[in-house]
Amino acid sequence: MRAGGGQGGGASCPQIDSAKEGTVVSAIEIQSLTRKFGDFTAVDSLTLDVAKGSIFGFLGPNGSGKSTVIRMLCGLLEPTSGDAKVNGFDVVKESEKVKRSIGYMSQAFSLYRDLTVRENLDFFGGVYGLKGTHLNERRDKVVELVGLHPYLDRRAGQLSGGWKQRLALAASLIHEPDLVFLDEPTAGIDPVARRDLWDLLFQLAGEGKTLFVTTHYMDEAERCSDIAYIYLSKLMVRGTPAELKALPEVSPPHTRRFAIAVDPPARGLMALRGQPQILDATLVESEIHLLVPENVDLPRVKKALDGLHVGEFRPIEPSLEDVFVTLTRRIASQ
Amino acid sequence: MNGYLSVVRKEIVHLRRDMTTLVMALLLPLIQVMLYGYAIDFDVRHIKTVVVDQDRSRESREYVRKLRATQYLDPDLTAASESDAAHLVQINDVKVAVIIPPGFSRTANPQVGVLIDGSDSQVATRARMAFTSAGSSEGVQARANVLFNPNMRTATFMIPGLIGLLMQMITVSLTSFSLVREREQGTLEQLMVSPIGRLGLMLGKLTPYAGVALFEFALILMFGYFLFDVSVAGSLLGLIVLSTPFILANLALGLLISTFAQNQAQALQFAMLTLMPSVLMSGFIFPRDTMPGAIYLISQVLPLTHYLNIVRGVIVRGEGFFDLLPSAGVLLLISSLLILVSTRRFRKSLA
Repeated sequence: MRAGGGQGGGASCPQIDSAKEGTVVSAIEIQSLTRKFGDFTAVDSLTLDVAKGSIFGFLGPNGSGKSTVIRMLCGLLEPTSGDAKVNGFDVVKESEKVKRSIGYMSQAFSLYRDLTVRENLDFFGGVYGLKGTHLNERRDKVVELVGLHPYLDRRAGQLSGGWKQRLALAASLIHEPDLVFLDEPTAGIDPVARRDLWDLLFQLAGEGKTLFVTTHYMDEAERCSDIAYIYLSKLMVRGTPAELKALPEVSPPHTRRFAIAVDPPARGLMALRGQPQILDATLVESEIHLLVPENVDLPRVKKALDGLHVGEFRPIEPSLEDVFVTLTRRIASQ
Repeated sequence: MNGYLSVVRKEIVHLRRDMTTLVMALLLPLIQVMLYGYAIDFDVRHIKTVVVDQDRSRESREYVRKLRATQYLDPDLTAASESDAAHLVQINDVKVAVIIPPGFSRTANPQVGVLIDGSDSQVATRARMAFTSAGSSEGVQARANVLFNPNMRTATFMIPGLIGLLMQMITVSLTSFSLVREREQGTLEQLMVSPIGRLGLMLGKLTPYAGVALFEFALILMFGYFLFDVSVAGSLLGLIVLSTPFILANLALGLLISTFAQNQAQALQFAMLTLMPSVLMSGFIFPRDTMPGAIYLISQVLPLTHYLNIVRGVIVRGEGFFDLLPSAGVLLLISSLLILVSTRRFRKSLA
């Protein structure tokens, strides 16, 4: 397991051309960052590096400390110990500069519902010191980017979930930040809007912006150029999706992964978990994902499923879900 | 001061969008003016009364007994002379003095002298009624002499107090609501990740509400003038200037409430909580002079207590600007303390 390594993760993602910057520089540098609330340690000596221009997926279960990290990086919360630099600025000593250089889009819609789209954008532009024609230019730019033209004079509260998130994104971009924090930007919006939002994020990353995204959706995690997973306040693993799937803990040498459709799946899972050849069995949608030794006797495995409707074995790559489930179980069993 | 103007503009839009709240906030006080001004009558009983009985006859004692029987007057005190009695009325919580002249029992149309402290119109009116009912059967004429507020009009007493009370009501609740709403809707967090200055945000939020408060101030004053014939005896400009520390104190109080309240319902309850002592203990209705020591001390902390002194001073007694500066000074002291505590708590409540 590597923690805190993984330089140049952004380069491995095809959508992102971070090489045009010449050298890859860090947008965020975190050194042994710790935050305690009384006796509870919400973030435990986190060390992390986020490359400029990457779409950085920051994952972990609820309560693992993700939001606390973001709040510290945005200058909302002071660390108990450790250092963090955002866009080269110290989050404690230079929090004003940090705030000017970042955008923030929160989990819940946090713009003014009784203000129109235009008024919201003008207000946040004004807060960042934009005025006059410059403000108008910037507003037109972000409106064009997210396609909010038709709704300029509509109250924000009357927009649908997807459009609200676009507005929130537009507002977080109005002052041209190099780095944008997106805290579960797609929570609670429909799949089409979700896809559209991710297209926008790729576009932004293509323009050289760094995106620091938290999400619970594994398909979104797959789209990130770099991932960190935190669990119980600690960094558990980080790397590109491909690197994580190749981790020896996830894909031990001389093992293979298969998927098999079983009906009813829950009974199949019970039958398989008792088998000596099965290293791991997980239910994913209607299929069972198996981790088995390379020299597995598949017909024997199938025998255990006698009496159930069984499909064919299909070799698969581990998914990110497999990665996190495997790693989390290992820690829990220790 | 970063972002001050943006916040002011935004708050004004909020106010315009939520007309219902604004109209209610402005209208409710006016309804209260009507209620207090026209409908509400205070049933004052057991008014402390001093008796100067110069006749010392059966009839004079019978007359005092009848006064007591009205229940409005408690003629428990006696004084030797009219000047002693007048002095008691002036310096004490004694509100009425009855002077029964020598020869009271021997005349066909007996008369008594009465001194009434008219500064509280309810007390004065009741006292007058007591003399009418006690004297009617025997034809005793009471020559009443009201010392202040000679017409004993309730409005003269109530309207200035209402200006203070109602301004407190709307500024405290609107300010606390506006901030709590930002927290409830998550917009406060969005603001805190921006480089907006804390002072810019606070003042930007408070300015429009100070404007609303002044508007309400003018409205009640006009109501008082046109409907109840209450005019400002002193300087209007002076009154406005002396009102600012009071508005400041209330805005800070609203800010303080917003650091405690998690939602608007709680904010409303907190606002009510601050309103109760202000109504009961500031001298708005009940005279403070009769309050027991501890309550009297609490009343000194209430901004309204000091503002009532200013607003009644200027409107009723026509007091000058400089005479009222001490009260304004106390108000400034209270507001600075409130602002200090609330901005400190506000900073904490963000984390």
